[in-house]
Amino acid sequence: MGGGFRVLHLVRPFLSILPEVQSADRRVPFREKVIYTVISLFIFLVCSQLPLYGIHSTTGADPFYWMRVILASNRGTVMELGITPIVTSGLVMQLLAGSKIIEVDNSVREDRALLNGAQKLLGILIAVGEAVAYVVSGMYGSVGQLGVGNAILIIVQLCFAGLIVICLDELLQKGYGLGSGISLFIATNICENIIWKAFSPTTINSGRGAEFEGAVIALFHLLITRTDKVRALREAFYRQNLPNVTNLLATVLVFLIVIYFQGFRVVLPVRSKNARGQQGSYPIKLFYTSNMPIILQSALVSNLYFISQLLYRKYSGNFLVNLLGKWKESEYSGGQYIPVGGLAYYMTAPASLADMAANPFHALFYIVFMLSACALFSKTWIEVSGSSAKDVAKQLKEQQMVMPGHRESNLQKELNRYIPTAAAFGGVCIGALTVLADFMGAIGSGTGILLAVTIIYQYFETFEKEKASELGFFGL
Amino acid sequence: MARGSSQSQASSSSNARPSGVGSAPRGTPAAAAGMRRRRLGGGGSAGSFGAGGGGGSNVLRFYTDDAPGLKITPTVVLVMSLCFIGFVTALHVFGKFYRYRSAGAS
Repeated sequence: MGGGFRVLHLVRPFLSILPEVQSADRRVPFREKVIYTVISLFIFLVCSQLPLYGIHSTTGADPFYWMRVILASNRGTVMELGITPIVTSGLVMQLLAGSKIIEVDNSVREDRALLNGAQKLLGILIAVGEAVAYVVSGMYGSVGQLGVGNAILIIVQLCFAGLIVICLDELLQKGYGLGSGISLFIATNICENIIWKAFSPTTINSGRGAEFEGAVIALFHLLITRTDKVRALREAFYRQNLPNVTNLLATVLVFLIVIYFQGFRVVLPVRSKNARGQQGSYPIKLFYTSNMPIILQSALVSNLYFISQLLYRKYSGNFLVNLLGKWKESEYSGGQYIPVGGLAYYMTAPASLADMAANPFHALFYIVFMLSACALFSKTWIEVSGSSAKDVAKQLKEQQMVMPGHRESNLQKELNRYIPTAAAFGGVCIGALTVLADFMGAIGSGTGILLAVTIIYQYFETFEKEKASELGFFGL
Repeated sequence: MARGSSQSQASSSSNARPSGVGSAPRGTPAAAAGMRRRRLGGGGSAGSFGAGGGGGSNVLRFYTDDAPGLKITPTVVLVMSLCFIGFVTALHVFGKFYRYRSAGAS
């Protein structure tokens, strides 16, 4: 099939104009990596606070509300698109390559280059497309109101921001920084959110006098101003529709549980074939696929929400559309649409324990859906990403490692006993933790916290490893 | 100038097709996969194998290989981003200024 037409080759003419960060041709010292990471983070944070120039209004329903957590985007700012372009193009390409729709031979250098190019090109195209769609659909006020000049300016700003995110991510991944840009930006966004909800000094007047938005600040404020201290405490712990202290404690608890579970692993002993006596171990973590199941799950759900909302607004009478989801404006969060019926409703976490008791079928469906989706995605992901038993066996073989007491041909079988189980069970655990966090009302949704914790943990590991290798480097 | 040279280099390398799948240099499958997550971090015995990757286990590791393209250095990326931020800020400032002026004139 070598000579035939391949979709991937369509990308070739564009390869030479795609921006491309140079690979590090030397070992970037740890300090320098930290500096690069911090500067990138700074740029990202500034961009996610800087309002877009030329927008008219950002009030009204926000159809992307559900996606903001995983996409690290902020409404009305330059980072409106966040990492959407990269993540979407990445997932699309992975799925296309994984399902063999486009053929990629990973051992051919050109193929890899073309695939990377295709990914980047698709990312840029998605950024352009989304920017145009945002402006034309009147997210910032209709085009007539904005004026054509401003509309074009907004599109340019959004596109350029998308390009910058792509470049920053590439910069961090090419070895100049720690970890990947995507995870860094997601984690920062969520952590910022949690900190803000805990310590926000904004006051909100909700009929019972001015209240602080931040949970901790509200606690002290209530304790000091109210005469009845017990009632004040209860208020601070259980107030509805604003972050309360229980939420904060739940967040901390989930954080700790996830960290605890991260340590669970099966360690397989391996031995080098060449160097006698060189022993090693190959750990298989419980969270084998880490946070990937929830990323995929929430990407799926939020896309479904988005489509369902659009459809519901246009054709709310249609039976099929109603089956997909019914939406209603929420009283609390300013013009936000929440699902009240249909499939979308059953895929959303129940708002509270009381809500759960009132509608047990909803809760049951939600739990079953979360767990099975996470397990399924986790299992698929190991195949797609090349961390299945077969690939690991191949890698170990290339490193001349064998398992003592097993024949070389048995390696894959032995790994196969653990890896799919770890992946599926890990996925279920991640799903269960997300459900738990949601039920306890942890700040920033269960998905968000799980993402943040796993990413931070990964960073911690990278940090340790970098330090260790640095020490080893100098210690030699 | 630098740009032109990088482009010519890019086109030449993208035209040079590898001679075939089978003759791919040894070891590439291991380093393969721009999109493969290296799960082996910490796997090899104590450091002797671990030094290769350089990065940790990431969520989505896309660009691990060099692709021909418009080469830019990391500094350029950072400067470009800062310029962009400056540009948007300037737009805001000029926008305010212009609106103020036009409101005053009319």
